[in-house]
Amino acid sequence: MDAVIRTEGVSKVFNAGLAGEIRAVSGVSIEILRGQITVLKGPSGSGKTTLLGLIGCMSRPTEGKIFVEGKDVAKLPERFLTTVRRKTFGFIFQHFNLIRGLTVRENVMLPLYPTEIDGKQMERRMEEILEKLELTAKRGVNVGKLSGGQQQRVAIARAMINEPAVILADEPTAHLDTKLSEDFLNIVTALNMDGKTIVIATHDPLIYDKPYIDHVIEMRDGAVREAARL
Amino acid sequence: MKGHGRIIEYALSTLARRKFKNFSVAAVFSVLIAVLSSILFLMHAYKTETLKLLDNSPEIILQNMSGGRHELIPTEYIGTLSGIAGVGQITPRYWGYYYDSLTSANYTLMAFDETMRDVKPIDGRMPAADGECAVGRGVADLRQVGIKDDIFLTLGTEQNVNLKIVGTFTANSAILTNDLVVLTKADLIKFFNMPADKATDITIEVNNPAEVSMVARKIRRTFPDSRPILKNELLRTYDNIFNWRGGIVLIMFFGAIAAFMIFVWDKATGINAEERQEIGILKAIGWETSDVLQLKFWEGVVVSLSSFLTGLILAYMHVFYFHAQFLAPVLKGWSVLFPKFEPMPYIDIYQIFVLFFLTVVPYVAACVVPSWKAAISDPDSVMR
Repeated sequence: MDAVIRTEGVSKVFNAGLAGEIRAVSGVSIEILRGQITVLKGPSGSGKTTLLGLIGCMSRPTEGKIFVEGKDVAKLPERFLTTVRRKTFGFIFQHFNLIRGLTVRENVMLPLYPTEIDGKQMERRMEEILEKLELTAKRGVNVGKLSGGQQQRVAIARAMINEPAVILADEPTAHLDTKLSEDFLNIVTALNMDGKTIVIATHDPLIYDKPYIDHVIEMRDGAVREAARL
Repeated sequence: MKGHGRIIEYALSTLARRKFKNFSVAAVFSVLIAVLSSILFLMHAYKTETLKLLDNSPEIILQNMSGGRHELIPTEYIGTLSGIAGVGQITPRYWGYYYDSLTSANYTLMAFDETMRDVKPIDGRMPAADGECAVGRGVADLRQVGIKDDIFLTLGTEQNVNLKIVGTFTANSAILTNDLVVLTKADLIKFFNMPADKATDITIEVNNPAEVSMVARKIRRTFPDSRPILKNELLRTYDNIFNWRGGIVLIMFFGAIAAFMIFVWDKATGINAEERQEIGILKAIGWETSDVLQLKFWEGVVVSLSSFLTGLILAYMHVFYFHAQFLAPVLKGWSVLFPKFEPMPYIDIYQIFVLFFLTVVPYVAACVVPSWKAAISDPDSVMR
C-alpha cells in the first residue's frame, strides 16, 4: 500500500523569533497510507490540529518536507497549494465551519463554485451525497436551523463534494453526544469502504479505540510519541 | 465562465445575508450620490441653458455710465459708432424693470427689436402693434393669464398700460424669458416715460469676432463715459456665478462627503471577524485567493454601482422632474419668479465619470484590499 501523504522532519513554529514563540509541531515524520483510517491522538495542545493543517496544505511548515501523492508541497506557491487542497482533500472542522445564512444545498456546493464543473453535474453530485447522508429533505433548509448532528453531516457532505482522495477531520466528535458520534463513525467507515483515506485528529477514545482504525499516531508536545499500525 | 457566474451569484447571496448592513451602506451611498449629482446636474443644466441662450446675444452691449451707475444712452452715439471700423449692426435697446405689487414680483419689460430674433414664443407671436405683448412663462403663471388675455401694468401714476398677450415664451428659454414682458417700443417708451433721444443701451455686432476686444477699446476711447460689455465677459461671469454657487453648496455637503470617506476608510482598514472567518472557510475548502478577491470585488461593485445608479436616478428625478425643489432656492438666486423655472435635462458625462471614480472605485477598493490581506494568509486559522 503506497503513502498518499508523507512528512519528513516537519516543524511548525508560530511567532518565530518573537517573545511568544510557540513550537507547535517539531520534527514530525509520518506516513499516511492510501485507503486507511489514521488517527492523530493526543491531548489539547499536542500539535495534532496543526499537523492536520500542515498535511492538508492549509499552512506551510517552518521546516521539513510534506509529500502529497509523491509531490513535495511544502514550498509550492499559494495558487498550486490551493489546487492540491481542492483536488486531494476534504475537510471536516471541529466547529463544522458552515456558512451561516446559506442553505444545506449552497453550503455543500460551495467548494465547486469557482470551478468550471457543469451546473447539472454539480447538482447531481450534491443530490447523491445528500441522499447517502440522509439530508435530501433538508437541502433547502438554512444550516442555522439544523441540529449539531445534521450540521456535521452537512460538513461531511461538503468535504465529499470535490470527490477528494483524503478526508481530514479535526475533533469531529467534540460537540456530539455518543449516539451522534457513533453515527459519524458509521459514515466515516462507509467512506473508507468506498476507498477514501481518512485522517482524524482527536482525543476522543470512542474513536481511536475502534477496531477498524488502521493506524494511530500519538502526539505529545508537538512530537510523535508513538505510532502503531493496528 | 461558469465559475465566474457562480461567484457573482454567491456575492449576491452574501449581500442578501447581510442585508441590513448592506442596505444601510447602500442607502447612505445613494443619498450622498443623489445630493452630489443633484448639485452637478442642476449647475450644469443652468450653465448649459444660460450659455446656450447667451450665445445668441450681441457681441457688445454698450451702456452709458454716470457717477458709476448705468444711465440711459443717447441714440445719437449710433452715428459715431457706425463709423468705427469693424462695427456691424447697431441696435438701440429699450427695457426696464417693473415691480408688480399684485404678485410681489419683478418683471423685465423690453421693447421688441432685431436682437430678439432668436427668442421665439412657444405659442402665438411677438408684438407687432401697440397694445400687444408677449410674456414669459413665469409672468403668465403668476398673473394666471395666457394668449388673448389682457395684462395691466401700472406705475401708480398716469403711466399705465393695458396690453393684449399675443405670445408666451418657450420653457427652454425660461432662464432668460421667465420674467420677461415684450412690448412695442412706443408702449415701452410711453410706460417708462423715457426721453425720445435715449435708449437703455445699445447692442453692437462685430463683423470679425476676433476683433471684438479691439472694437471695444475703440468705443471706450471714443465714449469715455460708456461701458462696453463683451459677450465673452458675460459668459465668463455666468459661468463663475454658477461655479461659485455650486461650490458653496458642495462645501455645505462637505460633512456628508467626509463622513462617507471615513466610512470607506474604516472598511479599508479592516474586516470583521465573521468576514475573516468566512474567507478562511472558503480558502480551506478550495477557493483560491483570486476567487475570494473576485467575490469581494463583485460585492463592492454590486453595492456601489447600484447605489451610484440609484443616486443618479434620484438626482435626475429631483432636478428634472421635481424641479430641484431642495436645491433650486440656493442655486438659482433671488428672483421670486424663478421657483417655477424647470431646468432642461443637460448632463455632463465627464462629471458623472469623475463622480464614479471618486466614489465607486474607492468603495470597491475598500472592499477588496482588506479581504486581500485576509485571503493571502493561511486558511488554517479557521481550525482554531
